[in-house]
Amino acid sequence: MRETPAAPASDPAVSEAAAPASAEPAPVRVMVVDDHPMWRDAVERDLAAAGFDVVGVAADGRQALARFPACRPQVLVLDLQIPEPNGVAVTAEVLRHDPSARVLILSASGEQGDVLEAVKAGATGYLVKSASREELIDAVRRVAAGDTVFTAGLAGLVLGEFRRLADPGAGPEDPGHPELTERETEVLKMVAKGMSYKQIAERLVLSHRTVQNHVQNTLRKLQMHNRVELTRWAIERGLDGD
Amino acid sequence: MLRVVFWVNTVAVNLWNADNFQRPVAGVVVVVLLGAWTAYVLHACADAARRTPVLLGLDLAVAVAALVSSPLLKGEGFQATVPGFWVAGPLLALAVRYGVRGGLLAGAVLAGTDLLVRAEVSQGNYGNVFLLLIGGPVVGYMADSLRRMAAERDRAQREAAAEAERVRLGRAVHDGVLQVLALVQRRGAELGGEGAELGRLAGEQEAALRRLIQAQDAVGPEDRTGIADLTTALAALGSSRVSVATPGAPVELAAHAVEELVAVVRACLDNVRTHVGADAPAWVLLEDVGDRVAISVRDEGPGIPAGRLDQAVAQGRLGVSQSICGRVADLGGSAELSTGAFGTEWEVVVPRGPRVGP
Repeated sequence: MRETPAAPASDPAVSEAAAPASAEPAPVRVMVVDDHPMWRDAVERDLAAAGFDVVGVAADGRQALARFPACRPQVLVLDLQIPEPNGVAVTAEVLRHDPSARVLILSASGEQGDVLEAVKAGATGYLVKSASREELIDAVRRVAAGDTVFTAGLAGLVLGEFRRLADPGAGPEDPGHPELTERETEVLKMVAKGMSYKQIAERLVLSHRTVQNHVQNTLRKLQMHNRVELTRWAIERGLDGD
Repeated sequence: MLRVVFWVNTVAVNLWNADNFQRPVAGVVVVVLLGAWTAYVLHACADAARRTPVLLGLDLAVAVAALVSSPLLKGEGFQATVPGFWVAGPLLALAVRYGVRGGLLAGAVLAGTDLLVRAEVSQGNYGNVFLLLIGGPVVGYMADSLRRMAAERDRAQREAAAEAERVRLGRAVHDGVLQVLALVQRRGAELGGEGAELGRLAGEQEAALRRLIQAQDAVGPEDRTGIADLTTALAALGSSRVSVATPGAPVELAAHAVEELVAVVRACLDNVRTHVGADAPAWVLLEDVGDRVAISVRDEGPGIPAGRLDQAVAQGRLGVSQSICGRVADLGGSAELSTGAFGTEWEVVVPRGPRVGP
């Protein structure tokens, strides 16, 4: 762990995600992907009632990928357990197609490994299906604004993943593994302990925005690392033809 | 291949002892016939379907016939039989194909023939016969074992595949059930009244099923005794009001340590229930920090007033100290309490002990 004495109060440049919330916003375009018709309808209804523009729905990965380019949603509300291709693959493919889109994972089962994979593939939000309607709406809104929506459980997984990457004894040799700064670890730990960004900001005497940026940076490092790994894997296998 | 070596050996030995033959031409014919038969058997055995009992029986018969031909070709007092070590070929073939019994039978037939055709038995002859009798069953036994191991491996692979398929199907079914339960919970809460009650029940079942699936996922193929997974054990404490965050991967400790740590977390959660409220949320975080394991249990209650715990100890109530600090100290770790207006947080750190596993 690198020493960062006196963590900077102002944050390293993370501007792209900070969309101004001032202008009268056009309704956020959302696409709902869930193989369960009851859920699809319920989520669609709730989002529409809350003023979102549900531009499309899909029942499986194939439909989602086929309809995504035409619907051009800003936020994809995605169930992980869908018929092939699965949620992780859809996340990666959709973000390759449109890097400005945001993916919010809405998962029923506690498939921890899959959630982590989806986050590594670029999803910026995760919510369990037992979350209330208000939590869902709030999550979609925040994800659309470029924010990351973490549960305590996901933060724990991400912490664990960074520790695993940093542990030289475990797994294959990985010289370029990503590291969290001390402050990022501290923030992530607090998220994992169930504290809200606001509570963390108060405890650490930081701005709300700074806390958010720290959380976003941790995810970004993980995603970046994942991309590097994928590329390395592809080159090793001679798949970098195009 | 081995047969070819045996045959070449037969040819060489017979050339060397060529002057022992009383009927050299017939001797050459027998050796050439053996060569032809060797070539045919090699060709036939290349395909498993043609490795029939008839072929192997004929093989043995040829060996016997070659042995029997020896006194006719070389006269009564011969030293080495015409086929010599070549007879090991049919013997091994039968042993490999029919195991101990095949090896024993072939060995007995060849040994018997060898002894019968000789006028007198020398020490060397006896040694060869003995080798035939021993070698056949031993090779047969090894072939049997190999076949059994291969069969067991195949069965294990089939079982693993079937198990994986069951897990996959189970997951699909579970996922559907979880979806419905979560939906009932959500809609129920919105309906209020009896609907809310139904929703609450559905929520509890959902949490229970989710824990079950996680616990099932964590069961590895091998169950080493004395070692337990703290991740699974703590995840089981999760509920609608208790959120449990873990590193995802198993955190293996001595089973005793896992039991004690679960008891500690349970005690912390009980405290939350009694002092903050039955519905008060709580958060558990498990971290695997290399040589240590850190657990934090947090609530957002009013906190514990300063001196309250010491007071309780002074009054002879050992509840918290005993069940939390005592257990942690026994494991060689430390438990720290921070409390204030923000709530209460227990931080438990215990050494991991000797690293277990590969």
